[in-house]
Amino acid sequence: MEGTIDSLLLGFSVAFRPDVLWYAFLGCLVGTLVGVLPGIGPLAGISILLPATFGLDATKAVIMLAGIYYGSQYGGSTTSILMRIPGEASSVMTCIDGYAMAQKGRAGAALCIAAVGSFIAGTFGVLVLTLIAPPLAALALRFGPPEYTALLVLGLIFLAYMSSTALPRTLLMAAVGLLLGTIGIDNMTGHFRYAFDIPELGDGIGIVPVAVGLFGLGEILSTPTATVVGKVLAPKLRELLPSRTEWRQSAMPIARGSVLGFLVGLTPGSAHIISSFLSYAVERRLSRHPEEFGHGAVAGVAGPESANNAASTGAFVPMLALGLPTGPVTAVLMAALLIHGVPPGPSLVNDHPGVFWGFVASMYVGNLMLLALNLPLVGLFVNVLRIPYAYLYPLVIMFCIVGVYVVNGSVVDVWIMLAMGVFGYLLRKFGLDPAPLVLGLVISPIFEMSLRQSLIMSNGNWTIFFTRPIALVLMLVAVALLAMSALSFLRKRRDWRTRLAEVEASE
Amino acid sequence: MTLRTDHIAGGAAIIVGLLVLALSGDLPLGSLSFPGAGMWPKLICVLMIILGLLLCVRAGASKPVAEIGWNDLSHAAIVTGATAAAIALYPVLGFIVSISLLLAGLVFLERRRPLTAAIYGVGMSVGVYALFTMVLKSPLERGLIGF
Repeated sequence: MEGTIDSLLLGFSVAFRPDVLWYAFLGCLVGTLVGVLPGIGPLAGISILLPATFGLDATKAVIMLAGIYYGSQYGGSTTSILMRIPGEASSVMTCIDGYAMAQKGRAGAALCIAAVGSFIAGTFGVLVLTLIAPPLAALALRFGPPEYTALLVLGLIFLAYMSSTALPRTLLMAAVGLLLGTIGIDNMTGHFRYAFDIPELGDGIGIVPVAVGLFGLGEILSTPTATVVGKVLAPKLRELLPSRTEWRQSAMPIARGSVLGFLVGLTPGSAHIISSFLSYAVERRLSRHPEEFGHGAVAGVAGPESANNAASTGAFVPMLALGLPTGPVTAVLMAALLIHGVPPGPSLVNDHPGVFWGFVASMYVGNLMLLALNLPLVGLFVNVLRIPYAYLYPLVIMFCIVGVYVVNGSVVDVWIMLAMGVFGYLLRKFGLDPAPLVLGLVISPIFEMSLRQSLIMSNGNWTIFFTRPIALVLMLVAVALLAMSALSFLRKRRDWRTRLAEVEASE
Repeated sequence: MTLRTDHIAGGAAIIVGLLVLALSGDLPLGSLSFPGAGMWPKLICVLMIILGLLLCVRAGASKPVAEIGWNDLSHAAIVTGATAAAIALYPVLGFIVSISLLLAGLVFLERRRPLTAAIYGVGMSVGVYALFTMVLKSPLERGLIGF
């Protein structure tokens, strides 16, 4: 414990450096804007701004990019409450009661509860991350290739199980990503795979063109100008402070949302979306007045907003401690660390303590900054929504092109981005989620390497995944999840995932 | 039989799986004790084919293809075409010219005045060019014209 405090103090000495504070602030500010603007999610925001971090050191780069991620969770609530448009997928649930509160003249209170709930949950998440990431990393140092293979199998199955779309659809998207990840030189034998004599494909397909194409351009393609609502409900800032009753009603939902969100954040999948849905369901179930939900229940704002923020912090635990991304956003953040020569994973704490602890400490500071940014400046952020979409979307396309080009100075990457944009558009039409594809692309090389190393280690004996204790436990959990999913399918039971799919479809 | 979205998705997965398997002919599969460069991609292709079949079998739960709304198709086609043209022109004409044309063209197509569209396109592209090349020190394509 003493060691953790010493390390955290080291982190704060990094995080409080004026230049680091500036980049944390910049990340939080951009993140809030990304969250406010519909059509630009955190993934597109991070991917587009990734090249802007090339001139920075790894610590500042990851602090700024992470600021965009958790900042977008704060900003997403603003459009949900004021316009009934989720600026962010994880703010879908906030639309329901947040907008209803705004219509009753309590927009300021709803925004304040969302911001304070997000702050408490975010800080709680960082606190738990501080305590559990280092011991988890120490445990992960005992992992060999079979354990990593089993962990990745479990991760993919868990991702598919937690997804709101059907298990085969999610796994299919992950398989497409895994397949794209095989393009380029095979690291073990030097064979060229599917490069078709294009030199730029020798190093494989980058995550940035794929992520920017699927989530940035793809979103623009499926959003014609006529569908973007320009009407903004102006909040009355003098009513920003919630009443005593509203504070009381929000206290327990914030506490429950924080814990629930963090736990869900540890699991693979769209944790920040799932956590807000689960929190809403839990609050409604526990409420003495469930009939108020949908008509401006304070708990319907406080719970989901806290949960999605805690989940975005929780998602950093597997990334930092195990070197495994649990979602597309953490996958891009991992790519950012790798570009800066810092491999995330169990050795990060020991090999780059300044980066690890500086990053953790910056999240405490970032949450404070976001609270300060989101409440007094809410009027300013709302004005951003008044920029006509006809001017905004060409600008996003330009940043997609620039963002992708600057990574390698390659026009081939920009063509890949365009192809992925069209692919993303088609995936949306057919109800397929592109997020597992990005995840598959990132883990494909790690997965292949650990699988092949495991087989070489065991001289071709595949039972190696069932004879080592940690690998066996992970595999058994994966089998249990598959069995549960099959059972649910056979019984045609409507569980929370079906209801989540219905809510997402209705938005 | 009603054609549903999962029929299309599953069918596409099977075709892509088979196609990549056919393209992987010269990649060595290796053995279990020393897997070759072809083992992993071929394994994924088989997985894709199985998942594609599964989707086709249980496609009844998905939406009929006829119900897919295509009212955004013209917007998507215009944006794709304009972006493709800008990317093709990018190495030849450089960042400022190609991106100015892209921005001005798209804004003009949104029924804004030509002058407004032109000022917006040139202003934004010059600003971003300056930001990336001078502040962020990330070079952008200069093209044959030199900027």
